[in-house]
Amino acid sequence: MKARNIVFAVSIFIIVVLQTTVLHYIKIFGITPNIMVVVVIGIALLFGNTQGAIAGFILGFCQDITFGKMLGFYALAGLYLGLVVGIVNKRLYRENILVIIFFTFISTIVYELSVYLVHEWGMHLFSPENSNNLDILYAVRNITLPEAIYNSIISVPIYALMIRINDRFENANKSIRKY
Amino acid sequence: MLRLFKNKFFLLLLITVFIFILMGVTAKQNSKLNWFSNTINVIFSPVEKFFSGIGDKIGSGLSYFGDVKEVKKENAKLKSDIDKLEKDTADLERYKQENDRLREALNLKNQFNQYDSIGGNVIAKDPGNWFDIFTVDAGTKDGVGNNYPVIAGSGLVGRVLNAGFISSKIMTIIDVDSTVSGMLTKTGDQVIIKGDLSLKEQGLCRMDYIPTDEDISVGDSVVTSGIGGYYPKGIFIGKIKEIRQTNNEFTRYAIIEPVVDFKRLEEVFILKNKNVGNTGTDGAGK
Repeated sequence: MKARNIVFAVSIFIIVVLQTTVLHYIKIFGITPNIMVVVVIGIALLFGNTQGAIAGFILGFCQDITFGKMLGFYALAGLYLGLVVGIVNKRLYRENILVIIFFTFISTIVYELSVYLVHEWGMHLFSPENSNNLDILYAVRNITLPEAIYNSIISVPIYALMIRINDRFENANKSIRKY
Repeated sequence: MLRLFKNKFFLLLLITVFIFILMGVTAKQNSKLNWFSNTINVIFSPVEKFFSGIGDKIGSGLSYFGDVKEVKKENAKLKSDIDKLEKDTADLERYKQENDRLREALNLKNQFNQYDSIGGNVIAKDPGNWFDIFTVDAGTKDGVGNNYPVIAGSGLVGRVLNAGFISSKIMTIIDVDSTVSGMLTKTGDQVIIKGDLSLKEQGLCRMDYIPTDEDISVGDSVVTSGIGGYYPKGIFIGKIKEIRQTNNEFTRYAIIEPVVDFKRLEEVFILKNKNVGNTGTDGAGK
């Protein structure tokens, strides 16, 4: 369990660094995929809602620290993302690739739209002179939808990697139990 | 089982409320809690710097292999360019004199004299697709403070959102939350330059509150007006690219093409007022 936690922490560090530095080099149509969202969804599907919520919280918090305009915004968004995906799926069909793609697609749209709407609402509430007109159609068509497609594609290798790492730990656990 | 669920639910509620309070406290820029995120950023920054460097190298490395054939062609072109550049240098000298003269006429004194510039390299970019924030490898140890204006070349980039110890978050003028008070150089009228979600990806921003009797045309320049406290007067923002009429009102807005190319931004300069604290604290009180 300890080794698993270390792997978890190191992975999170790597994910945050990759996401903020290298990933914007592979922009397609000006959109960067969000592997942080993909990983949170993956953990929620693989290990359940609590683990998903914790992973979402930590990854979101890292995003808050590195880029957030305030502390806690992405942490909360990530927490609920992991929680809801974990509750909805209840570890069913977790090794079916289509389920993963479908979940990533839908969750990305819901997650990114909530981020947009909550942010705009917050701005409207607390600093109306800086707020913008809502442009949901643009937000969906030009940002959320392409990102969802991008995330879905990228979720396949990431999820495969996560399953492989998980299996290795489980095998290690089994071999320990033998003796 | 029910108790467990209740507990979990209660825990969730507790975390949610706690984070809302945290958000409220840290939304203010000079929040005391910023030391916390600054500390963790000290861990992230060096690694990000390293990876960012690798990314740049890969980018330039890839182009190296594709270019061998191009080099010959380019060489010939460069030779002819040298002639052209020599002519341009003479032109530029002339423009410089003209610029000085016009600046004087516009009463834009060279205010940058009272600013120190702190150089910084872009080390990481906002991972999401909604905002346009990046970090640079200069922080409070180099003298950077919150709300300091940031420029690149001759144009306005944005301002420091949060200065950490060895790195700082910078919000660009194309970010949706950015508002800059601008001035049309032709007439000296005030306008507002805002970031826009649909223009952000092309590196453009929009200009609002254009006076109705104002005679604007494509190509007009906009500079900062110095109102609002964040930016000193006279930093070049960009030029009008397009003027759009909104159909339901008698208002119009214009699309501004900033001089700074936000997609290829690698190095910026943070302006620090020599009369310490003037720029930084003015804005914070807003």
